[in-house]
Amino acid sequence: MTIRMQKEVKEMEDWSVGVMVKKQNTEHQTLNIKNMNHAFTLPNSGHNFDAKASKMGMWLFLYTELLLFGGLFLVYMVYRSMYPDEFLLASFNLDVWMGTLNTVILLTSSMTIAMSITALQKGNKKLSIQLMWITIAAALGFLIIKYFEWGAKFEHGLFPGMDHFGTLPTGERLYFYLYFFMTGLHGLHVIIGAIFIVFVIFGVKKGTVTPERYSLLENSGLYWHLVDLIWIYLFPLFYLIH
Amino acid sequence: MENKNEHITSYKEHFSTYAALILLTFMTVFISVFGADLRTLSVATAMLIATTKATAVAYYFMHMKYEPKIYKVMLATVIILFAFFMMMITIDYLTR
Repeated sequence: MTIRMQKEVKEMEDWSVGVMVKKQNTEHQTLNIKNMNHAFTLPNSGHNFDAKASKMGMWLFLYTELLLFGGLFLVYMVYRSMYPDEFLLASFNLDVWMGTLNTVILLTSSMTIAMSITALQKGNKKLSIQLMWITIAAALGFLIIKYFEWGAKFEHGLFPGMDHFGTLPTGERLYFYLYFFMTGLHGLHVIIGAIFIVFVIFGVKKGTVTPERYSLLENSGLYWHLVDLIWIYLFPLFYLIH
Repeated sequence: MENKNEHITSYKEHFSTYAALILLTFMTVFISVFGADLRTLSVATAMLIATTKATAVAYYFMHMKYEPKIYKVMLATVIILFAFFMMMITIDYLTR
């Protein structure tokens, strides 16, 4: 613990002792508090920050995300093995080049957010913020392309519940159910990830995220990489059945 | 209790990872679009390339390379758990 932190903890303790003494001015209480003087940290005082625990919490959350999408991939696996030809036929409705472009966009944004951590670690706040904005721009680009892709499907009546969708064979319907659900859920993660990064940008500007204390940036980066990771599997499974 | 003594990954390392990922992406698209005759092979290849990419993202971008062992053990547990689910479902559908 640094001297500054020790001093602050001391002040915090003195303050709490004062409160207790005011509340119940008995010798017994005061003594009790004084005996607690070792390693005493108030919750939310800012002194109980633990970068390692914070990162491990984020990873644990990411594992639950992996299993969420994992379950959907298992559903996909089963139905694709049951209707291989209809899955192939339905996949021709997707534009491979738009999918490729989106893959490149997500990979680029993954690199920029990873680099923004490097920049902040090296103390270059400005570059770090710029790289985060590039990541958010990429997220928006991804969503815009996704909008055009989904828009084309809507025009062709391929969304579950539409007229043309109802006339399709079972296998193709299952393909579109899974396509819209999985890319939709992934798109939601893109939106959440981008909002998370915006918060980190404000954190860096306000000074709550610093070169000494960048856990929030690191965790938003981990989340963003997960988004990329899921897309790495979604892309070949939906676009590249040839 | 601050983020001290953590490894700083260089810009160069990030860029190399990125270049490899882009290369693998174009490889998988190329195989799929122009290697249509190798259909069964293509599914396995696509998954193999995707897994290679995912590993690169986790290992370099997500800093798994520099993390303590416990993170790697936890990740391995999740992967084994998922592989187990996959195996059980495959066995289930193959024996119906």
